[in-house]
Amino acid sequence: MLKQLKNVIMIAMIALVTICGSTSCNSSKKLSKKEYKAKVEQADKDLNAILNNETEWTLEEQQARIEEMKQIDFSKKNPEIMEMIERAEAKLANDFAERDRIAQERLAEEQRKAEEQRLREIEEQNKPKTSLTDYFNMIINAKDATAANKAINQALDLFESPDAVVLIRLNNYGDYDKPTTAANYLNYLKDQKKLTVGIDNIKYNAENKITELELIKK
Amino acid sequence: MNMKKLLFAIALAFFALTGYQAFAQEPEISPERKQAIDSLALEKVRDLSKYIKLIGAKTTPWSEANRVIDRAEELFAPDAEIGVSSLAKTTVDYYKVRQYLERLMRLNYDRVEIDWYKIQYVSDLQRQPNGTYVGVITIFQTFKGYDAEGKLVYQDTTKKDITVYVKRKETQIGGRLISFWDVLLGDMRVKETTLK
Repeated sequence: MLKQLKNVIMIAMIALVTICGSTSCNSSKKLSKKEYKAKVEQADKDLNAILNNETEWTLEEQQARIEEMKQIDFSKKNPEIMEMIERAEAKLANDFAERDRIAQERLAEEQRKAEEQRLREIEEQNKPKTSLTDYFNMIINAKDATAANKAINQALDLFESPDAVVLIRLNNYGDYDKPTTAANYLNYLKDQKKLTVGIDNIKYNAENKITELELIKK
Repeated sequence: MNMKKLLFAIALAFFALTGYQAFAQEPEISPERKQAIDSLALEKVRDLSKYIKLIGAKTTPWSEANRVIDRAEELFAPDAEIGVSSLAKTTVDYYKVRQYLERLMRLNYDRVEIDWYKIQYVSDLQRQPNGTYVGVITIFQTFKGYDAEGKLVYQDTTKKDITVYVKRKETQIGGRLISFWDVLLGDMRVKETTLK
């Protein structure tokens, strides 16, 4: 009898420990009223901010916050929070879709510009370059001073500066005319309307601009 | 005169003579090179003829004419003068180059035609003791002035002599020594003026 009683007591204790342990565990997961109230208030504040675009969080941060809120069961005491979560999720889905759309548009725009640039470069490469001699002829054959000046300005773009040196070699014995500058020589062509020299040598800088032009008398 | 002074005078005379000889013995340039500078000086006079035509032309924009005056003035030696004659008087007036060119730009005609022709040497370029080559180029200039109705109101032909000076100079360009011939025009003297 005593042995049976001991067994009953032991079973009862095990059951009690089991029940108590289980209850204790359940109690630790539950929020206190105060904590719950704070969670509701914070959720309400955050959801309103999300719904009204008043947060500086990224879309990913907003989504993470909503997922965090969904871990708490607001359905019994605060169904309005659940409704707000649903609306916020719908809004977030729209926002993600809009962001993807904008990113795709931007990518397409960048691709379009890159393609335009590529085509421009191909066009530029294929366009016949106006040589210095062409400019000389354009200047001496210009119908008036305005047209000649336009050609001079275009020709000067080929030079490092309007003051780039122009040498005019008279012969192969090392005799030169007085050195002049690109601007003065081009204006000389405009005034005299004659080309009595050929291009003998051109020196360029790193930007492919002419730093020194040597002409030779024909 | 003591011995020291005598030796000094002899030494001075020796150096003076050898120095002069060294200068005098500077080689003459070859005929090909002489031809090149002859042509260069003639070309400068032809350039001047174009500048004068542009400056005188009423169709040349004011800014262009002023720029051309600068270019034309650069062709001349600093104190050079240009003679101006007229059928109406026997004397010749001489003006500084810039003054002449500015007067030319403002001539009181509605249209001006100036042409130079027969541009040639009357005295070839000759090397002077100081190394400068000097010569004289003659030109004939026809001048025609028109009024607003396009009527020719004045014309003459003037023969002018221009002294030219050609001097060899050197300059450093891009680390390279360049020898060039500097051509400068001197006085432009009126020799004769006729109606045609």
